[in-house]
Amino acid sequence: MPTLIDRVTELVLGFLLLVVLVTGALAVLAILRRRQRERYFERLDTLRRLYLPVIARLLAGELSIQQGLTMLGTVAGPDRVFVLERLLLEKAPTPAEVPPLRALCEGLGLVETWQRRLVGQSEDRPLRAALSSPDGVIQRVKRLGFLLRARSAKNLGLIRHQTSWPLLVQALADPHPDVRANAAWALGVIKEPQSFTPLVERLHTGILETSRDFSLWPIRSALASFPLKSAAGLLPSLLHPHPQVRYLAADIVREMVKRRAALEVCLVLEPPTFPRELCEVFLTRLCFDESSNVRARAAPVVAYLNDPRVTDVLITLLGDAEWFVRLRAVQAFAQQRCLAGIPDIARGLTDPHWRVREATTRALRCLGQVGIDHLFTHFLTTTDAFSREQIADEFQRAGIIPDLLAQFEREESDRAFQVIQRLTEMGKTNYLAAALRDGSAETLRGKFLKQFGGSLAPQPEPR
Amino acid sequence: MQAWKEICFQGANLFNLLILSYFFLGNGIYTLLMVRSLITVWIHNRRQAYRGLEQLRESAETAPVTIIMPAWNEEAIIVGSVRSALKTDYPHLEVIAVDDGSTDATLERLVAAFELIKMDLIFRPRLPILPPRAYYMNPALPNLLVVSKQNGGKAEALNAGINLCRTPYFCTLDSDCVLERDALLRLMHPVVSSPVPTAVSGGIIRILNGCKVKDGQVIQVGLPRTHLERFQVVEYLRTFLFGRTGWNLLGGTLIISGAFAVFHTESVVEAGGFRPDTVTEDMDLIIEIHRWAVQQNRRIQMSFTTDPVCWTECPATLGMLARQRRRWQLGLCQTLWKHSEILFRKKYGVVGMLSFPFHFYVEGLGAAVEFLGYFLVPLVIATRMVPLSLCILFLLLALAYGAFLSVGAVLLEELTYRRYPSFRDLMTLLLYALLENIGYRQLMLAFRFQGVVGFLRGIRQWDKVVHVGARA
Repeated sequence: MPTLIDRVTELVLGFLLLVVLVTGALAVLAILRRRQRERYFERLDTLRRLYLPVIARLLAGELSIQQGLTMLGTVAGPDRVFVLERLLLEKAPTPAEVPPLRALCEGLGLVETWQRRLVGQSEDRPLRAALSSPDGVIQRVKRLGFLLRARSAKNLGLIRHQTSWPLLVQALADPHPDVRANAAWALGVIKEPQSFTPLVERLHTGILETSRDFSLWPIRSALASFPLKSAAGLLPSLLHPHPQVRYLAADIVREMVKRRAALEVCLVLEPPTFPRELCEVFLTRLCFDESSNVRARAAPVVAYLNDPRVTDVLITLLGDAEWFVRLRAVQAFAQQRCLAGIPDIARGLTDPHWRVREATTRALRCLGQVGIDHLFTHFLTTTDAFSREQIADEFQRAGIIPDLLAQFEREESDRAFQVIQRLTEMGKTNYLAAALRDGSAETLRGKFLKQFGGSLAPQPEPR
Repeated sequence: MQAWKEICFQGANLFNLLILSYFFLGNGIYTLLMVRSLITVWIHNRRQAYRGLEQLRESAETAPVTIIMPAWNEEAIIVGSVRSALKTDYPHLEVIAVDDGSTDATLERLVAAFELIKMDLIFRPRLPILPPRAYYMNPALPNLLVVSKQNGGKAEALNAGINLCRTPYFCTLDSDCVLERDALLRLMHPVVSSPVPTAVSGGIIRILNGCKVKDGQVIQVGLPRTHLERFQVVEYLRTFLFGRTGWNLLGGTLIISGAFAVFHTESVVEAGGFRPDTVTEDMDLIIEIHRWAVQQNRRIQMSFTTDPVCWTECPATLGMLARQRRRWQLGLCQTLWKHSEILFRKKYGVVGMLSFPFHFYVEGLGAAVEFLGYFLVPLVIATRMVPLSLCILFLLLALAYGAFLSVGAVLLEELTYRRYPSFRDLMTLLLYALLENIGYRQLMLAFRFQGVVGFLRGIRQWDKVVHVGARA
């Protein structure tokens, strides 16, 4: 009669054999997988050598689409779609390459395949053929279908396939977040005007859903990439009762304006690009919204409006209770690049929050010599120690010290001398010393020692 | 005498049960982590095919990040490391290098290489540390700041960087690490794309030894030459591809390597920053953030993904490896003991109920249990408490199971990233995966046991591992 020990021994032996077998199987699997991948990459490399030059010539216009289709049409096998995707779309195409690439993909039947996959239609293939292709394996496992749908959405976006936009809109409601994200991105690059509203609706749904598994970042980015004239479509969102909706809508408009401003140096927002209703909403409602996030996002937009009320609105925001609203207001003023606004911007120099003081200092510096002169004046006259510290910080970080010393050497004004004197009194002497140690600064050193040689020891600012 | 024999017998029996429970619990959970990770990492790898980093690069939503690089006596590599950090592919990036009171030419080399100028900048001590001695910048390189402070340890150096950080996120990066160019983008992807605020995002650390590095980038991946380094490659694969991934899936992340991780600045400041009272300040901070989130009733996530890669040198000599493992075990014990009140506390969720107890029992105490077990086995055999055949079988089972987990890690690497290009490398990895548990594991166990003893004795040393430039 086997004893307990015998039974346990058998059990352990059995378990040991199982573990050894499984370990061996895993090792064999790794080796087979490596062999398979080597063969696969060899094949892919061969195809790349054969066809990449063809594709390059086609995209450069040296070959016609028909010729390209004839050559690429010879790519065959159960993994044909997978291989063609590698050959054609491994690298994101440049804008000039998109039209011929799109024609190729359409001619090769890839677009049709992607569209079918995007809506979840599977391809009927025998099991053996399916298993010899990476996509075939995925298609057989329902839960992994999102991988194909998401890749299909991405590919349609890469080739800017305009007519696929309804399917992409449909995919915004896909159960998997990857598919939704890629669909949103694709709609953002295609920029079909009719897809703007569905994207906005999706944004609303996303915000109002309590259990959200999906970041709104792809939708926000997609909407922000539409041209500025689409901003009118966000008017209902800007007036929405939910503050988060208003905030995101204002942020999207802000981003649209920012992108446009990068292309148009002296951008002014006015009809027809920016409808009167939008101007009014930003000026009269959003800048005074109950949500500080909304106010902060509205400030950069109103700075571009051609309206006499803008200055007063921004001045009001400079006195906002929230520091980040004041920060945005300072930056908005600086955006205008209007030198007449310097006194208003400069209010931020004595703001209680350091980020606002820092942003103000930077904004003034970026306004050129007039702004820097204003900083000098404030630096010398203010009794706010925090403000002086912030300005001294900016003088150093921005490399203004050598210019200051040069002005001092040339005796252009008393101001340079006064600023340097204040800096030494504050103990901010390291950069000055480094600049004076420069081998070529002999005259400067002499003058400096003459002026400051008898100065008292630095008086650190009270903290 | 009879009574003593009885006591010893019962004690040995109890210890046998302890070893058995440790074996089944530890390996059972590792197997669970392995199975989940196999599927998840494979799927994650497939998702990279359509997850465009260019969207992150071009989007205005991508938050600025500051890389904080603490350094102590790293004159040989610091300039290259900072250069590499500055070249990281990320749209809005700043770098703060903190010289933690080096006694060599670390600071001087940085100043010379980047033409830095000493400045008197504002210091806002949001986290309490001794004020830095000096700041260095070059106005032509506004996104690089070098801070010099008196030696206070890595935690304080990191806190100094956090105090000067002006971005919503910061990335800790050890000065001996080589970051892949797009690693930071990949690390920030889960942050940007998550519906839940992400407090921490970690990536994978790979072994640099044996790789060719040029201009701060790994241009050719290869296996190191020595047995010791090769065993460590297998170990790292197992730890990162299974262990960290698996715990992340369960929501029980307890360790994210501070050598390369992104943190949400305000969350870290509110949680109190890095603390100097343990030598594994990264693990300590992760748990502090968990506790802070629970106390503040904040919903956060911690992310670990396997595609952002940071390469680091592993110890090439036994002496250095011993130091490293002792320190890690010491830090683990210190951290687990410090936060022991969350053990089996339901309000901390998976962390309190599963992850922390696992690390406490299996990783912490387990080192001592397993190590002492090797001495108990001959005793058990000699007193015939357990038949010799069963003991041998059990020992073989333990070795085989360890090999199973390591081979599984190599398989997962093969199914996904395949960073080691040659077939010979794969066969080498498999061989070392099989052999890892015959000698190497026991050696590491001995070092870990020393770490446990050190903890019990109240030792709190930071044994520095010296880098010998083990790149090919």
